[in-house]
Amino acid sequence: MAEESATRNEDDIRILAFLCNWCSYAGADLAGVSRLQYPAKVLDVRVMCTGTISPYFVIKAFQEGMDGVLIAGCHIGDCHYLKGNYMTAKRFQVLREALKFLGIEEGRLRLEWVSAAEGEKYAEVIRSFTEEIEKLGPSPLRRKRAEVGA
Amino acid sequence: MSDLKDLVREKLKDGVDAFLCLKDEEGTLLPALITDADSPELELVEAGGARYPMGKILIDLLREYPGKRFAVLVRGCDERALVELSKLEQVDLDRLVMVGLACTAEEARACGCTRPYPSEIALGEKAEAAPGRETIEEVEALSEAERLRWWKEQFSRCIKCYGCRNVCPMCFCKDCALENPHLVEPGVIPPEFPSFHVIRALDMTGRCVDCGLCEEACPADIPLRSLYRKMQEIMEEKLGYRAGESPDEKSPLSFLGSEQDIEKLEREQ
Amino acid sequence: MVDNGKELSYRLVPSTCVYCGTGCGVLLEVMDGRVTGTLPQKDHPVSWGALCVKGWAVHEFVHSERRLTAPLVRSGGELKETDWDTALAAVAEGLSRVAKEHGPDAVGFFASARCTNEENYLLQKLARAVVGTNNVDHCARL
Repeated sequence: MAEESATRNEDDIRILAFLCNWCSYAGADLAGVSRLQYPAKVLDVRVMCTGTISPYFVIKAFQEGMDGVLIAGCHIGDCHYLKGNYMTAKRFQVLREALKFLGIEEGRLRLEWVSAAEGEKYAEVIRSFTEEIEKLGPSPLRRKRAEVGA
Repeated sequence: MSDLKDLVREKLKDGVDAFLCLKDEEGTLLPALITDADSPELELVEAGGARYPMGKILIDLLREYPGKRFAVLVRGCDERALVELSKLEQVDLDRLVMVGLACTAEEARACGCTRPYPSEIALGEKAEAAPGRETIEEVEALSEAERLRWWKEQFSRCIKCYGCRNVCPMCFCKDCALENPHLVEPGVIPPEFPSFHVIRALDMTGRCVDCGLCEEACPADIPLRSLYRKMQEIMEEKLGYRAGESPDEKSPLSFLGSEQDIEKLEREQ
Repeated sequence: MVDNGKELSYRLVPSTCVYCGTGCGVLLEVMDGRVTGTLPQKDHPVSWGALCVKGWAVHEFVHSERRLTAPLVRSGGELKETDWDTALAAVAEGLSRVAKEHGPDAVGFFASARCTNEENYLLQKLARAVVGTNNVDHCARL
């Protein structure tokens, strides 16, 4: 990461990104090896398929103080497991509406399809998502950082 | 109710092994399993007065007595629960005879469910009801920050009795997410927002049949039913599914589906 | 599915939760002679169909393997099962000895939320009138 954690303060936003192993994680890797610049406020979690991401994980991420959660996987039709991301697409719709009803800004949750060849798209997604979360500010669900140890 | 007595007797003579309904035992209304058409218990059967999670009781009965057939007195909500439970492989409808009871107009109004009558009515008169949306509308009129504050205040009363889950006819898992210490911290009362209640709301999506037993069981009067009802509205709007209605159609969250469905979903987003 | 030959046996028994003095109404599910579950009694004048986490689990101790079903008396550092007469004699002997050697205030009585009002009344009567101490307390005095 470009930024040192020592310079991080309470108001800095923190984003959790669930990246699928076959597409988006490789896309992020491509962005890295291509030396593309994007804000270093994202923590990556590599999962084998976005279809494995239970909505519980997203709830847990917000509970633990994340300001935004990104889910990125293969484009529809390109899933390594053929249809895993279908489930992601469906769950996302429900989850986002649920968060909205509960008073959590819908912009804090984002779903993107990023292929292994789309390093530039990955960088752009992170840039725009970071910008959006910075506009929204720290999550109202955030506990004190010290408490979480993040 | 004499009509119910005749129905119970008739079904038992027709070959079902037992009839599940309510009875009045010295002033206490409780579910009873009648096994004998000549039983003096038949004099005590009651159709109305209180609602119990019949689906939940039947899951246990059908499992414990795999060769037996049961009849059960069902309201609209009980029927929806049993239909959805059968899709989730929890009850075997082939071993179940549903005897329909329509809620009275007064009951329907007080309860405000989406369909206060079963598909076939053997007892009572069909009454229509307007689903109660007052709380949902009240919440939707608030700003995001106010909404969050509103819900946090509601959930702050939770004493974590697990009554909403325990009474729910649609909750049957042996391992419950609400008892997973990674998701819900043990010993913390009220449970931290959003973990406990939002996890339950998500699990109810495409599953809740709007029986309202959760809210009746809640000692803290948390408007759970409105939350779960909103989840069903989301489910219907986004994925076109309503739990407990058509026996042959499964919840889109329980299978992967086709590329066309997903493309349509993405287009409409 | 194949009939397992079991006779149908299922009923709900109205009862009162034993975990505290509130007295919430429960229905105990009894299947094949075993207590298998709890439901709240919907028309109960105390609890009106609500229960706390303990009330919902009130059936769990009934068949628990860890449940004490006979009194235990420690002898030679080891707890041994015995009958009630022997156990009560041991209690009476122990309490009298302590009260005699160190005075009645060396003895304390601890009442329980799981007993009835009358039983708790009797316990404090035993403490004050028989043993002669006001050392009476209760597990629910938080």
